[in-house]
Amino acid sequence: MIPELGHYALVLAFALSLIQATVPIYGARSNDAALMSVAAPTALAQFVFVALSFIALIACYVTSDFSVATTFENSHSAMPLVYKITSAWGNHEGSMLLWVLILAAFGALVALFGNNLPPTLKANVLGVQSWIAAAFFLFILLTSNPFARLADAPLEGRDLNPLLQDLGLAIHPPLLYLGYVGFSISFSFAIAALIEGRIDAAWARWVRPWTLLAWMFLTIGIAMGSYWAYYELGWGGWWFWDPVENASFMPWLAGTALLHSALVMEKRNALKVWTLLLAILAFSLSLLGTFLVRSGVLTSVHTFASDPLRGVFILAILVVFIGGAFSLFAWRAPLLKQGGLFAPVSREGALVLNNLFLTTCCATVFVGTLYPLALEALTGEKISVGAPFFNATFWPLFVPLLIAMPFGPLMAWKRGDVLGVTQRLFGAFALALVGIAATYAVTTGGPVLAPFAIGLAIFVVGGAFVDLIERTGLGKLPLPVTLKRAAGLPRSAWGGAIAHLGIGITVFGIVCETNWASERIAAVKPQETISLRGYDLTFEGLTQRRGPNYTEQLGTFVVRSGGVEIGTLQPSKRSFASRGSATSEAALLTRGVSQLYISLGDPGAGGSVTVRLYHKPLVLLIWLGAVVMFLGGGLSLSDRRLRVGAPKPAKIKPSLQPAE
Amino acid sequence: MTRKQRRITLIGVSLGVLAVAVGLVLSALKDSIVFFNSPTDVLEKHVAAGTRIRLGGLVSPGSLERNDNMQVRFQVTDGNHAVTVAYQGLLPDLFREGQGVVTEGALDPAGVFRADTVLAKHDENYMPKEVADSLKKQGHWKDDYDKKGGTAGKATP
Amino acid sequence: MTLWFLLAIMTGAAVFAVLWPLGRRAALPSGGYDVRVYRDQLDEIGRDRAAGRIGEAEAEAARIEVSRRLLAAAEHETSEPVVTGPGRKRVVALAALVLLPLLSGGLYLTLGSPSLPGQPLMARAKAPEASSVEQLVAQVEAHLANNPQDGRGWEVVAPVYMTLGRYEDAVRALRNSVTYNGPTATRETDLGEAMVAESRGVVTLEAKQTFQRALTLDPREPRARYFLGLSAQQEGRMAEAVATWRDLIASAPADAPWVPFVREELARAEGAPQQAAPGPNADQMAAAAEMDPQQRQQMIAGMVEGLAEKLRKDGSDFEGWLRLVRAYTVLGERDKAKSAAADARRAVAGDTDKIQQLDALLKGLGLES
Repeated sequence: MIPELGHYALVLAFALSLIQATVPIYGARSNDAALMSVAAPTALAQFVFVALSFIALIACYVTSDFSVATTFENSHSAMPLVYKITSAWGNHEGSMLLWVLILAAFGALVALFGNNLPPTLKANVLGVQSWIAAAFFLFILLTSNPFARLADAPLEGRDLNPLLQDLGLAIHPPLLYLGYVGFSISFSFAIAALIEGRIDAAWARWVRPWTLLAWMFLTIGIAMGSYWAYYELGWGGWWFWDPVENASFMPWLAGTALLHSALVMEKRNALKVWTLLLAILAFSLSLLGTFLVRSGVLTSVHTFASDPLRGVFILAILVVFIGGAFSLFAWRAPLLKQGGLFAPVSREGALVLNNLFLTTCCATVFVGTLYPLALEALTGEKISVGAPFFNATFWPLFVPLLIAMPFGPLMAWKRGDVLGVTQRLFGAFALALVGIAATYAVTTGGPVLAPFAIGLAIFVVGGAFVDLIERTGLGKLPLPVTLKRAAGLPRSAWGGAIAHLGIGITVFGIVCETNWASERIAAVKPQETISLRGYDLTFEGLTQRRGPNYTEQLGTFVVRSGGVEIGTLQPSKRSFASRGSATSEAALLTRGVSQLYISLGDPGAGGSVTVRLYHKPLVLLIWLGAVVMFLGGGLSLSDRRLRVGAPKPAKIKPSLQPAE
Repeated sequence: MTRKQRRITLIGVSLGVLAVAVGLVLSALKDSIVFFNSPTDVLEKHVAAGTRIRLGGLVSPGSLERNDNMQVRFQVTDGNHAVTVAYQGLLPDLFREGQGVVTEGALDPAGVFRADTVLAKHDENYMPKEVADSLKKQGHWKDDYDKKGGTAGKATP
Repeated sequence: MTLWFLLAIMTGAAVFAVLWPLGRRAALPSGGYDVRVYRDQLDEIGRDRAAGRIGEAEAEAARIEVSRRLLAAAEHETSEPVVTGPGRKRVVALAALVLLPLLSGGLYLTLGSPSLPGQPLMARAKAPEASSVEQLVAQVEAHLANNPQDGRGWEVVAPVYMTLGRYEDAVRALRNSVTYNGPTATRETDLGEAMVAESRGVVTLEAKQTFQRALTLDPREPRARYFLGLSAQQEGRMAEAVATWRDLIASAPADAPWVPFVREELARAEGAPQQAAPGPNADQMAAAAEMDPQQRQQMIAGMVEGLAEKLRKDGSDFEGWLRLVRAYTVLGERDKAKSAAADARRAVAGDTDKIQQLDALLKGLGLES
């Protein structure tokens, strides 16, 4: 019964989404308050039904109900409970259900907390949001139904892809989807504004918290995915420029640009058309990512489905939404009034520069990701565009952005003073120079440019602090005044500076990892010792161990540094009987923010085994930086000026009051 | 500055950045893309020694040789032709005889493919797309693969 | 029934979500939404100025800009009167009442399977086994046909094949199990045992190699050691068989259930004199070791015929019957083995215990008719 209830809940959510997609928008056009008021309750009900459906699906997985086809395909009764739950979205059907769940959740959030929005805007936003939802509900029901049944339940399921049997997977897709799908709200706001034909600084204020929320989750989701690849794939790489990774990175670049251009729009009522375009673009890229990942046109572990019908269906959704949005944009955008003048050298100018570089970076990633597909479709020639391409195009464009980053927040609105800002950044420059000199002194080998890259990272970190120090008057004013100022500073100012700090930290980690990581592949016999970067690892031998649904060969290595034992590493090779496949589980030893990474290869003669050993200096900074960015975003979101209206029953007439 | 001048500055800078980006993309596309070839392609197109390519196909059952120092040799076949691949390093978890594989590297003058990367990202119902396509093209899809798939896996790495 | 009831409740809730806002007296939009944003911006400029973060001139310019927006917004707010039409409300309400249940009901009936109950593992485990073993096997076979690489499935089905006497299938299943699950001593031994059963009790060369592989994985595996002993016995290397089994018994845990069985075999191989039954004595064995295969075969056949002759005269030696059946099987003379079994059954008629033993042997040798 449970699977059928879940199925029906999904169907109901679809039916509700059709009402939500039409009635409120009609209400907004005819200015009918009653029809507009349908939007919020239906959005909530739609969310409740999708949530019920999702819970029902999880229940099927937890109880190993193999009469549900997807459960049979992707679960196994011997799996640990946590993987039974996560395998609910570790496959195409379930992950699409999660996708619409999050889509509906964002709609419900706007319905609950969007009381500060004008009713027409709110109705239009929820209506547009529901168009997307309706399309995806239909897609799920017709081509990827997670509740398809098998008349005779097989005795045992086929187990989840072993690569996905990992806790990283439990958190990574939901976070990534929260980000990816979160941009649907910015998209709906943009389309709603185009429908209404009215857009102004207030619109930017309203859309910014939603964009920020999506951006935060996308940031942390990408970081989680990267960390998952790092320790689960066993190669020690943390970013492969894989099309699937690019699919999540492109919306991030566009979304980051959107956050900054919305700032200009909010403060100066400028860049309106551009901001709308970015809002459409960010979600279009999310849809494109969904298409690339879900249609099976790519080669990647993430591609669960390769059903052509699905590909065509998502392509149709893609064409209708992106095509429709851009047509609407081309038709309506020229009607929008331009406003806000600024000199090229100003805060606005800096933000335009930021947008320019971010979107260009995004475009190069776009070309690199889609060029092979386009070429194959046109000529049949198969090529692969790998890391060398992206390193040669992305970084030359990203580095100028990093150099300009500390300047931006210090510039004045309307008309800035580059020379003055440069002087104020003197401290950061000095710090960077010291960093470069120190790097030259300490390291040997590595590329000549590496110390400069370190200098750049330090400059970005320093620049973020300069902003805060100046604003609080640290060092110039007495400490109590400074503290008072720090407390009085808007949280969004703190948030911005901290997010920039996060970028600096991530860049620092990337530079260190790429230039000074050491790798060693060796065959070791029991009691033999291998050394890398001052760490001595003694191989204690291989043991067999049995997990709930796999058997594993566990290698034990005792790690010593300078003769002192500092830990034990136990990398393993798991073989999953029910899928006939194997995974390597790397073992990590964390020292500060650096890591020692070991993964097992093939066992050889005489109890020996080949291992891959890496020393990754400061590698954790890459992901810590992302966490810092996330926190910065959260701080900014908690700023009361961005805080959206608290839920208020609509019956009580919101009183007009000064907002401060 | 007048409004017009400002606009021209903005457009100028944008075009400049775009031009740089286009230049970078074009030069990178020229230098860093790698063509995918099946063993038949390699023989028919006479791929020059030293040209970096991706070679994909099935690992011929029984062809895997492991030597000292993590040197491995195996044959990659598409059913019509086979190319010997030499590789030093650890093979991926999912590398199996009789199953799909993609290797990246270059041919040496003796016609042996010196791979520096071996990818075997697939499970039992997934095979690298390029490999599947080229097998289909060679008419060795399904029957051939399934037969081999059925007896594969004996050389568990 | 419960299902339909719940579906109806859910539909009701969905319809209610649409009707409820329509039924309420529409709250008049208060307006002033953008005005609030701009007021806030003005306040912020004031605060920035007070904190000395911006100069007076910039603050003034910004104030003018925001005020301009404020005015425009205020003007816009009042320009659109709000209407609500009862006609439109009714149309929407009707759509929610009729179309929503129709659409969702219709779609669900097309896509869903309301007649199928949920079959969680627990419920299925508790349910009385409706389907017979054959049906279950058929299911697993269908699954394996589509997923020939499902090592776990092969491992599960193999013992079922063994009990059903489908030894050929058991061998295939166990081979696949070894391939996909990886070799272990137990799996290899199971495979060897199935091979022995398939070849009607003869430890073939392939089976022997399989047991040897098992022992390289785990030198203590008792069944593999037993069968290697049996193999030695069948090939006439009695001394080796005896040594192997002695070793096995010596290293066995005291309570191992198979010890008495091996002891019995051992006793027979040693030619223990408690029976008059003519086992080959040490001299004969030594002689046999020196013979070529054909001669050895003849000698064994001769001994078997001797045994048969003796039993035909006196059928009370039950152990003798068992040995005869086994010997015929080893020699590949299945018909003779079967008729010997029939004779034995007659000879021990009435003794259920012994008949059971005989049946067990026949089953083990794959001879049951």
